Amino acid sequence: MIAVVPSATLTGAVGRSVSVEVHVSNGLPAFTVVGLPDAAVRESRDRVRAALLSSGLVWPLRRVTVNLAPSGVRKGGAGLDLPIAIGLLAASGELPSDAASDVAFIGELGLDGTLRHVPGVVALADCATGSTLVVPAVDGTEALAVRPGDVRLARTLSEVVEALKGTRRWAPIPAVPPGSARGHPSEPPHTDGHAQGRPLDLGDVRGQRLGRRALEVAAAGGHHLLLVGPPGSGKTMLAARLPGLLPDLSRSESLEVSRVHSAAGVPLGDAGLIGRPPFRAPHHGASAVSMVGGGTRSMRPGEISLAHEGVLFLDEMGEFPAAVLDALRQPLEEGVVRVSRARGTMSYPARFLLVGAMNPCPCGEGGAPGECRCSEAARARYAQRVSAPLLDRFDLAVSLGRPDPEELLSGQPGEPTALVAERVRGVRALALARGVRSNGELAPSELERCAPLGAAAAGLLERRLRSGALSARGLHRLHRVARTIADLAGSAAVDECHMAEALALRAGRAALAIGGVR
Amino acid sequence: MTGPSPERALPDEAYAAALCALPGLGPRTLRQLLDEDAPPDAWAAVRSGHRLDVPGMWRPAARATDVAGLWATLADQGVGVALRGGAGYPGPLNDDAQAPAVLFHRGAPTIADRFPRVGIVGTRSATRYGLGVAAQLGAELAAAGVVVVSGLALGVDGAAHEGALAGWAAGRPGSAPPLAVVAGGLDRVYPARHARLWREVADAGAIVGETPLGGAVARWRFPQRNRILAALCEVLIVVECHPKGGSLHTVRAASSRGIAVGAVPGSIRSPASAGTNDLLADGCFPVRDAADVLVALDLARAGSEPIRPRRSRTGRGRPATGPDPLPTFVGPPEPERWAALGPTQGTPEDPGEPPGSPGSADADPARETSAGPQRLEEAILEALGWERCSMEQILRRTGESLSALSLPLERLRDAGRVVTDGARWERC
Repeated sequence: MIAVVPSATLTGAVGRSVSVEVHVSNGLPAFTVVGLPDAAVRESRDRVRAALLSSGLVWPLRRVTVNLAPSGVRKGGAGLDLPIAIGLLAASGELPSDAASDVAFIGELGLDGTLRHVPGVVALADCATGSTLVVPAVDGTEALAVRPGDVRLARTLSEVVEALKGTRRWAPIPAVPPGSARGHPSEPPHTDGHAQGRPLDLGDVRGQRLGRRALEVAAAGGHHLLLVGPPGSGKTMLAARLPGLLPDLSRSESLEVSRVHSAAGVPLGDAGLIGRPPFRAPHHGASAVSMVGGGTRSMRPGEISLAHEGVLFLDEMGEFPAAVLDALRQPLEEGVVRVSRARGTMSYPARFLLVGAMNPCPCGEGGAPGECRCSEAARARYAQRVSAPLLDRFDLAVSLGRPDPEELLSGQPGEPTALVAERVRGVRALALARGVRSNGELAPSELERCAPLGAAAAGLLERRLRSGALSARGLHRLHRVARTIADLAGSAAVDECHMAEALALRAGRAALAIGGVR
Repeated sequence: MTGPSPERALPDEAYAAALCALPGLGPRTLRQLLDEDAPPDAWAAVRSGHRLDVPGMWRPAARATDVAGLWATLADQGVGVALRGGAGYPGPLNDDAQAPAVLFHRGAPTIADRFPRVGIVGTRSATRYGLGVAAQLGAELAAAGVVVVSGLALGVDGAAHEGALAGWAAGRPGSAPPLAVVAGGLDRVYPARHARLWREVADAGAIVGETPLGGAVARWRFPQRNRILAALCEVLIVVECHPKGGSLHTVRAASSRGIAVGAVPGSIRSPASAGTNDLLADGCFPVRDAADVLVALDLARAGSEPIRPRRSRTGRGRPATGPDPLPTFVGPPEPERWAALGPTQGTPEDPGEPPGSPGSADADPARETSAGPQRLEEAILEALGWERCSMEQILRRTGESLSALSLPLERLRDAGRVVTDGARWERC
């Protein structure tokens, strides 16, 4: 007898629909899985057998062949345990043949028959065929976020079997905050740069006028930001508050982000879908594979994909291996990263806002006369750790100093996140009207159209280009930043003062250049 | 060894240079060797190892040395060799107790015999103020006929040489070329960034050093260099230095020789001036301009032909001691470049216009530009004072937003009234 059960497997961050075909026939007792299973799938035989026996069901002492179709696609993970078990029961007659028709299953089995968490349920639920989908209760929120209407939850294999037979009801669907199933959870997940649930507020930052302004412009225009400053100048503090300024993710962005996070096994939080821009801050010991994605077997998405639609913060950027940093250049341009291995090529989304932080020199004082004890050569070596092409990709570069003690201790809070985020939303709306999601994505041709330069602004640029203070490379980036600044000021035209501010927000790059005051 | 050696035809300097090139043979040993023997004899002694008072350790290296080849290389490189007491050796060094026995040089180090000599030294990480003062002093002294002696290092040294070149190139009769004392071999430009300056100083005046060709710059060479530098000066000026800076080596070397040391006063808040302010407290004479140095030089040369300085500025001058002043400077060659860097330059006064008032931080830039870019520019200059300020400091002191200040700052930059290195801004 044969039974066909729909399910899904994960390739990278993308789900693939899989049909689990179970054939039970007379012959010597055997259990064979075919269709490019990986070790976890092959081992499912032992889990399924134990789970069936623990649940008081019958393990057929017959010849069992499990085929995972399409057979050309590699199947990985233990999420196919449940469909195999159900198929086995249906094929051996333990379940009525019509009970499981058109129901998709995803779930890993424990030896005692419990259903366990499966990574990537968002992506799996999205692609699994079948009119209803059965998932482990622990993965309920993720599945419900994608398929609100037709998800059934179960805690054990026997619950599934009894519910399919009609002798028992499905486990209750947990009450989820109404907004969250729509992809805009009220409670942000903890990958959001939020400490212990309380959002980090820009109001906590004292002083830092330049840093705050740079943060606002970066958020408003989606401009990559480089923070240069001595230890203790608040680089990390500022960067962690950037996601709070970014607008909520749209439904499709939220799905895409959740899919990647789910596939990487990052918990999505209580709300099921990630609705706020993620914040990723990998340590500088990160390998190139952990940053861009890959791995020998799983082709796991890397940090840059986990930061998709959010913020990738590289603290102590000078300490990252040069190869890791240079691997960021192509995804920064294209918004996707293609990971190629012998077994295939995977594409992951990687459109992130890059925030880099580094000291101006090994000791951190940046050549300040009397304070910096680094030799010229040491400073030059340090500045060269981040390659010029990568530095060129930062639209904004500001040089921060240690905050004034008086300002630190005064009770004067800065402008809160909510106010700044409101302005950021306004600018983002203007960008949407121009056909891009943020000004940082404006193509040069569009830039000419929607941000024509006045004579005074062009004159200023020309003077800076001639004096060598500015290179042609950064011209478009500067222009985009000026557009964002004009948007923030509510100005339709890009004037000289906007261009001047864009220049001021880029000046920090020079602090990294060798030569100090000369 | 068979046949007549071609080495016999070589001059003494060739053997002296070969002795210098022996690894591990320091300035003191070299001096001892050459004080006792003529260079060919000293060379023969080292090479043969027959003499008991000459250690045998250099024998293998000496035997492997091709003296004629070395001499040809020196000639190819255009590097001259001068022996203490010999022709081409700077006279003032002759009598120094620690004078190098052999001096390599490019150019003519005997300019030291013809002109008064003032050393200008200071920190490598100088502020704009220090660089400006060093350049100004260098230019004014060179124009006044003083050989500016310095070390061609980054920072103050380089600026002093730049200034001296400008003062000399001004071409006035009586101006003097610069003299540099370096720590490494003369074929090793160090720091590499000063390649052009190095060439120009060699062409105009001279570069000297006791390190043989190919000798890398080593840490211990700098104090050694400083002793030559100090011995060459009649007056030594420290423009900016840190409390434990290397310039203090030179100062110690100078004071042990009884050479007058002057220091340029700086802000008591500037770490780069901490060392010089300490020197002033210890009794060094203050250097406010080239005239102060010329007076000190005059005192140092008491008895010889006096140099009578003439004040370039009015209002603060001492009366000139004679009716017929030396051809001193009429003004720095590029007044606009250095004039503003003088510490006594007052802040521009603009009565009636108060500095930026706090509280207008949220003002929109458009209104500000119409309301008074002039006012904002004044507020920025006021906030900058004469320090190097970060953008954050400017914003804090003026209480204005970045949007409001960016354009006035760029205007000031265009007008040449402020400069920036990206991280910090300074008036100039």
